Amino acid sequence: MTALLSVRGLRVRLPTASGLVTVVDGIDYDVEMGEVVGIAGESGSGKTISVLALLDLLPAGAVVEGSAQFEGHDILRLGRRAMRDIRGQMIGMVFQDPMTSLHPMLTIGRQLTEHMRFHLGISAGAARSRAVELLDDVRIPDAVGALGAYPHQFSGGMRQRIAIAIALACGPRILIADEPTTALDVTVQAGILRLLDGLRRQSRLSVVMITHDLGVMSSIADWLNVMYAGRIVESGPTPSILGAPRHPYTAGLLAALPHPEAPDDTTLVSIKGAPPSPQARPSGCPFHPRCTYALPACATNVPDLVFIADERRLACPVDPLLVPA
Amino acid sequence: MSVLELRELEVEYTRPGRPPVRAVAGASLAVEAGQVVGLVGETGCGKSTLARAAVGLLKPTAGSVWFEGRQVRPIGRRARSRRDARLQMVFQNPFSSLNPRRRVGDQIADPMAILGVVPATGRRERVSELLEQVGLPAAAARRFPHQYSGGQRQRIAIARALAAEPSVIVLDEPLSSLDASAQAQVANLLQSLARELHVGLLLISHDLAIVRHIADVVAVMYLGLVVETAPTRRLWEAPLHPYTEALIEAIPRADGKGWLPEALPGDVPDPARPPAGCRFHPRCPYVFDRCRTEPPPLIPVASGRHAACWLHEPSGVERAPSSFARRTRPSSDAGDQFDGV
Repeated sequence: MTALLSVRGLRVRLPTASGLVTVVDGIDYDVEMGEVVGIAGESGSGKTISVLALLDLLPAGAVVEGSAQFEGHDILRLGRRAMRDIRGQMIGMVFQDPMTSLHPMLTIGRQLTEHMRFHLGISAGAARSRAVELLDDVRIPDAVGALGAYPHQFSGGMRQRIAIAIALACGPRILIADEPTTALDVTVQAGILRLLDGLRRQSRLSVVMITHDLGVMSSIADWLNVMYAGRIVESGPTPSILGAPRHPYTAGLLAALPHPEAPDDTTLVSIKGAPPSPQARPSGCPFHPRCTYALPACATNVPDLVFIADERRLACPVDPLLVPA
Repeated sequence: MSVLELRELEVEYTRPGRPPVRAVAGASLAVEAGQVVGLVGETGCGKSTLARAAVGLLKPTAGSVWFEGRQVRPIGRRARSRRDARLQMVFQNPFSSLNPRRRVGDQIADPMAILGVVPATGRRERVSELLEQVGLPAAAARRFPHQYSGGQRQRIAIARALAAEPSVIVLDEPLSSLDASAQAQVANLLQSLARELHVGLLLISHDLAIVRHIADVVAVMYLGLVVETAPTRRLWEAPLHPYTEALIEAIPRADGKGWLPEALPGDVPDPARPPAGCRFHPRCPYVFDRCRTEPPPLIPVASGRHAACWLHEPSGVERAPSSFARRTRPSSDAGDQFDGV
């Protein structure tokens, strides 16, 4: 069975004052129907740029290489018109901050129906009744009343639900969610995670979830790709990776998290240093300057992402399970 | 007596033509020397307002703030006295709280010059000492804030606060703009400041998991009121207030077990029109008649523990809210097969 979305060798270079800078450096992953695929990483890892590239939403001058097969097309090679049909209709996107992703001066009804009428060619009345259904689906109380309201009349969590309803309006196969809960409180975040989980179970929606929060990944993602400095350094089923991380970076991220069952007065083990900016990525394995397990060869050789077990890939010649710190 | 004490603090924002908003509606809190007090709550609960009022950046409408035995007066045009400046603040965003055009060392030396705590000749040495204390090389003094990452900038902001030789630092969401690894570094730094320098910290955060790691005592705030205070470990093991229980259940766990966190239905109500009775009652799964009419006071439930909830008797037994009633909370969304895992 072929995957719904299959990304291969995706490289993105962005124009800067000092020339083109490689932000995403060759990543591969598949998204199957009804699955949640997580892309985790810290700021500057290229995780957001990697999905903006799929939707042709990068700034002018960006150079994209590789392929992304979706429904029989390489969406990285589609023309602007064909891409416009994919975007919004076949692949929906939800951004981090619902304060800025919704138009403050337009009613919720207008924002929900506009692209439905454009993409699906349905009447104003049909679009309106579908909008009410969508708002019910994302559990907005008084959906009919909400159509006439403006974004500022809703709380952050409600706004993010509305943004999800807009992304789902044309019945996309894939929803790309970029840090959809980062700006929200945990209690509200839990509601959004439950909503996304329900959608993929009931409507077989596929979700590409981008977040730095491994707790969020643990609760919702079937597959996890950990990105560092533009590359995927570890990939596999979420329970397997979080239960037994094999890359020193993944292990380090997990050790830095406050654990609910940790004994008292344990200090968090932090990864030394800070993630490199795309302009100044180190040679060899990009993680080697911060890695406690680094070998001399790590400073020069870029490790490939290779299968180490069924469904698990790792880009590290050192296995933290085997080498003591 | 506590180093910093908030007594029945109220802060009201007035808006022309609209009802005033009581963002802090009578909150009491104390910070001892060398103690880390975590203040947690959702967006809009008034925790940042409380922080600003605690250092005198906002004028309380009622109640008072006491620092080292003296009442904190709202900040005016005149510089704070050396004694008042022993109460310092660190802000959420180190990208805006540091001056981008001045060198790191000059900014850290400012409090020394203004307060006269270090003579001019000793300032450079003291700056190096402070930078090392927060885990940065002394050479950082000659550089600019933009040369540092978010976590490092937050360390610089902390070093600047330490330059005033404070006995208490109020920190408003100091970790929330940082990546996971930087968060852990700054969290560990804060903990060691309290232990080694004996500075009291009032740490405002929406992240209960990180607060659990560094705070000795946690205060939980809901809609302008402190609803529970307890030693951190006991709060975590057996939350007494239903709101605290909901906050803890909503934290996702990075253990790969696929456990979906529990959602708390509803939103924080409009603080301009708080619900009658207990402010949490419309969202509370254990609500009963009394909650709808009478606001519960913050009462001592066990030693060192206070809760504002009618489920608990004064100096009664520590019991989890869920033990009082069958769980009546409706399951919030799909995916319930994962509950209780």
